[in-house]
Amino acid sequence: MDPTPLIPQALPIPVEWGWFYLFQMLTFILHILVMNVMLGSSIIALVHHLRGKAESEPLTRSISLKLPFTIAFAVNFGVAPLLFIQVLYGQFLYTSSVLMSVYWISVVGLVILAYGSAYIYDFRYVSLGALRTVFIAVTTLCLLATAFIYTNNMTLMLSPLTWAEYFENPWGTILNLGDPTVLPRYLHIVVSSIAVAGLALALLYKFTGKNDPTAQRWVKHGVDWYAYSTMVQMALGLWFLTALPEHVSSLLLGGSLPHTLVFATGAILGIFSISNALSYNVVSTAILSLTTIILMLFLRDMVRDAYLAPYFHVSDRVVTGEYLPLVLFILTLAAGLCVLAWMLRTAATDSEVRS
Amino acid sequence: MNFPIWELHWAGGGLLIALIAVFHVYVAHFAIGGGLFLVVTEHLAYRRGSQPILDYTKRHTKFFLIVTLVLGGISGVGIWFIISLVSPAATSQLIHTFVFAWAIEWVFFLTEIVALFIYFYTFGKMSRRNHLTIGWLYFFFGWMSLFMINGIIGFMLTPGDWLTTKDFWDGFFNPSFWPALAFRTFIALILAGLYGFVTATWEKDAQTRETLVRYCATWLLAPFAFLLLSGWWYISALPEASQTMVLGANPEIAPYMQGFLWISAILFAGGLIMAVRMPAAIKRPMALVLLIIGLLYMGCFETMREAGRRPYLIHGYMYSNSILVGTEEAITAEGYLKSSGWNRHQEVTPDNAMAAGRELFRGQCAACHSIGGPLHDIKRLGAGYGTVGMDAQIAGMGKIYAYMPRFVGTEPERKALAAYIVHELVGESETAEQMPPRPEIGLDIPAFDSDADEYVLLAWCNLGEKCISDSDSRFSLLPPGSTLIAQLIRRGPQPELVTSGVELTFTPPAGFENPSNHVEFWKYAPSLVGKELEPNVSAKGLGMSGVMKPNEQNQTFIADGIPVLPYMDDGTINPYPVFTIEARDTASGKILASTKVVAPISTEIGCKNCHGGTWRHEGVMGISVTTASDVLARHDRRHKTQLLPQAEAGKPVLCQSCHPDPLLNATGNPELLNLPAAIHGFHANYLSDAPGAEPCHSCHPTGPDSYTYCARGVHAAQGLTCVNCHGTLEDHALTLLKAEKEAGKPKAELLMRHVKPRLVASIEEIESRTPWNDQPDCLNCHVDFEAPEGDNPSAFNQWVRGPAGLYRTRADDAGLMCESCHGSTHAEFPATNAFHPDLDAIQPLQYQGHPGPIGSKGNCAVCHTEDMYYEFHHPNILGRP
Repeated sequence: MDPTPLIPQALPIPVEWGWFYLFQMLTFILHILVMNVMLGSSIIALVHHLRGKAESEPLTRSISLKLPFTIAFAVNFGVAPLLFIQVLYGQFLYTSSVLMSVYWISVVGLVILAYGSAYIYDFRYVSLGALRTVFIAVTTLCLLATAFIYTNNMTLMLSPLTWAEYFENPWGTILNLGDPTVLPRYLHIVVSSIAVAGLALALLYKFTGKNDPTAQRWVKHGVDWYAYSTMVQMALGLWFLTALPEHVSSLLLGGSLPHTLVFATGAILGIFSISNALSYNVVSTAILSLTTIILMLFLRDMVRDAYLAPYFHVSDRVVTGEYLPLVLFILTLAAGLCVLAWMLRTAATDSEVRS
Repeated sequence: MNFPIWELHWAGGGLLIALIAVFHVYVAHFAIGGGLFLVVTEHLAYRRGSQPILDYTKRHTKFFLIVTLVLGGISGVGIWFIISLVSPAATSQLIHTFVFAWAIEWVFFLTEIVALFIYFYTFGKMSRRNHLTIGWLYFFFGWMSLFMINGIIGFMLTPGDWLTTKDFWDGFFNPSFWPALAFRTFIALILAGLYGFVTATWEKDAQTRETLVRYCATWLLAPFAFLLLSGWWYISALPEASQTMVLGANPEIAPYMQGFLWISAILFAGGLIMAVRMPAAIKRPMALVLLIIGLLYMGCFETMREAGRRPYLIHGYMYSNSILVGTEEAITAEGYLKSSGWNRHQEVTPDNAMAAGRELFRGQCAACHSIGGPLHDIKRLGAGYGTVGMDAQIAGMGKIYAYMPRFVGTEPERKALAAYIVHELVGESETAEQMPPRPEIGLDIPAFDSDADEYVLLAWCNLGEKCISDSDSRFSLLPPGSTLIAQLIRRGPQPELVTSGVELTFTPPAGFENPSNHVEFWKYAPSLVGKELEPNVSAKGLGMSGVMKPNEQNQTFIADGIPVLPYMDDGTINPYPVFTIEARDTASGKILASTKVVAPISTEIGCKNCHGGTWRHEGVMGISVTTASDVLARHDRRHKTQLLPQAEAGKPVLCQSCHPDPLLNATGNPELLNLPAAIHGFHANYLSDAPGAEPCHSCHPTGPDSYTYCARGVHAAQGLTCVNCHGTLEDHALTLLKAEKEAGKPKAELLMRHVKPRLVASIEEIESRTPWNDQPDCLNCHVDFEAPEGDNPSAFNQWVRGPAGLYRTRADDAGLMCESCHGSTHAEFPATNAFHPDLDAIQPLQYQGHPGPIGSKGNCAVCHTEDMYYEFHHPNILGRP
């Protein structure tokens, strides 16, 4: 069946698509980093609670204190790219979202539950005792489920050929499980979260734990999480690659220079980051890892466009040429960042117990 | 707009949006007012040097942080999610139009979160000045979020100039922007006090608790006057259509407006009571109850705002069901199903009608109607309709009452939708009603001796069909009271009309003598016609038999107001009772002449086709209580009357007590539409898709499928229908409405808005008319009394200005009434009656042995006792040589 009649018409956009692409990419990088730390650190904390060793309490306590922040910012940094991607690819994303409405809307409940549970885990950490495991488990499972739903939607939006399933199921309970990329893609992002969270913990202890004799232990611990999960990640990446439809995977494997270049550079830097991690070079690991993540996110976009190429080109849009709102946004963003900087500096420099 | 539609069934009709949105908005407004509350309370603590107040502020900040970030922040994203699932087209439009407004709002969201975290986590650790600055920044960012979102929400309600310019700023700073911003700001302040109660009442120290609760009460009470003022400003800034919708044009919204005002009073009183010193055990639950009432308050407001937008998602741009304004005609021409690839059935066929109906429901109705759920439940709203009624309801939707969009699509699509709703959703099993056989009616044609008889007695009913509404316990629009008229002719070469020295009597057929045994008119007469009536006596004082009054002016005898009904004492339903008319010499009492005449009478008025219920009597005719109650309920709902409760209390009314009607010489309330204009004008909006007489048959017993089938005359036999003389329902309604519009009645214009004439090109060409008085002239078609030209003549739009010129009141130069020789309207000789072929031809058969007009086929001798060669009565009376 030709899915073209199912694809809604794209609406005009106020300024050239590149602006949206830029904002989407910048904010999505932030989102992915914070989201990785959020999901990964909650998994790490859960693992420690399940293992039940008292010695890891400082680590889980530290995670508990920071987890609510990561959720708040993962959500906030998620809003912006979701907004911009709706501008560029709304006709695909709205459609796939409707097909899986029940799951998609349940994300709201899942995140509220995860967030609420994370606050209880934080504010009541000491008094909860063994119940800590329950609350961090609720948070982790809700976030894992959310990630699974996202993976489904982000792949379903790329597969108009499967949309006709709606005719049998208009109740919003379609998942994209028939797509062989869903599982490797999901595991890819979950395991990368563990890696990034491990690295983030290592960085945290490295830069804040200078007076803490135990800090080095947690730096190593974090880097270990990074190194081993990134190894798993390599295998998952290969699985993901082979699961991609051939017209897409071939682009990454020499069919297209930009695709191949970004893919190969990212993969190689990833491998380098493992070797750096195994030598506990936290900063260089972080730099390599960050570069890999950014390259892989670019690749992710290129893969999306390859999927949609038969139906749509992101550059093919009517532009209304309304620039003033864009200028206002940039000015607001700049002013907002200045105020943020002032607030953060004030918080850092002017916060000692006074009363 | 080619998006798939999530089939929500029970949870449909916007329920999910309402739940998430009201909850979010309740928390989000608190996040704004509460932000100011925090920093101002912190100030207060410093000014008074009060550690307890400072401790309270910190405690409240924690509560605030969890509520606004976890519940408020995520549910805000939740609204975005749910609207994109339920109305992806509108969401896409909002996102594309205002992407940078959303993006700016996101910056404020980000700064808001950071400020709040810092405010909370540095409480008591940062210098007072910096901490207060962070607090003020938080409030500023929060309020700016409102500023941004307010522009977009307001755009949906009042897009203003954006509709033409498509300019971002026109849409953002739309006509309701500032009043809505003020209104929401004051609500936010009130909510700050309301939420403040929750933490304040949990304060352990009694003295501090009382101080804090009173402080919170000030927050709740102080902004109230401003809230109501800005609310008034808000409403006055709305365009008229939205304003009337909010103020009750949509009957479903009235309770929310009342609720809002009542809750305003309750919250205000609650604030005052909270300020009174009471134990914590009382105040704590009270604080929680007030918090819940506050949620209802927000719900009422948001529901009204949404209602003001009806029937649009984006006012004037996109309908509630995502159909774009301006595309209706193209979609109707092409077919709705074809407008989206997400409809599996691209056109309706006999095999797929139900499945196509489901897709039509999904596309055009499900945005607002749930199936068995709490919001606009189609099962409840659609109950009682048959497919005909549902089809009419859908056809008329959005035409008079603008809170629903009009149906767009083809006629088969509309019928498929109606059938799907009635059969699949409501589950009404519709069996074709089997009309019982008509009774056998015996008829003896009275004798006439053309040699010996000196008189010819001609009699007729002044209306071709007298219809009676027998829904007397609910309303009456046509009370019993038929009129028989007779002329007595003394035969001879120069016949004479006799009006003196004789007495004419009328007698009903056996079995019809007791109409008051069959209907409740006599029971409710005091309420319906203003006086007690003897059984079987009409409001005009006439019984079932009596003496006809001579009328010297037109040389007739008249019995005006015979309360005859189609119901016989043995249960037979016979709409054609045959009365006996006898003429006697007053002096001698000798019978001079005798004849019989049908008094056609029917209660077959098809209200039940759309208003639910069944026929009142034997599956044949009559308006049942269920049907009549529904008519009144709808009238009450639309026009804010109390007719149904009044009727249920035993005080039903005559429709003409308010609506003027020349038929009953009722002046009513002259500001209201006259009854025929109101009824035809209203229903023309619902029953107007057939080019022929089918819509007429929906209400009147004019169709061949009806039991009564009142079109018995020669016109019907020739294949002419209602339309040939009266126009289609639309034309007919427009003639009446236009006259009312010219008389300055604004309601006429409302009813005319979507009614297009069929027989003339435009409304300008419609000749307005007064009901009953101005009717088509026979001579429009029968020029010079000749047969009309063509097979499909039309008498429409050229009116005899009556009542003097009407067929039923006109006479020739000899004084002979047209109806004397040609029969009643709709039963013109030669007429055929479905109950007995000769029923409407009694006198022609009696006097001349054939059913044509009296005197036709050279039968001048009926009156003249000899052949005549001069066309005295009218040209062409002798026919062509």
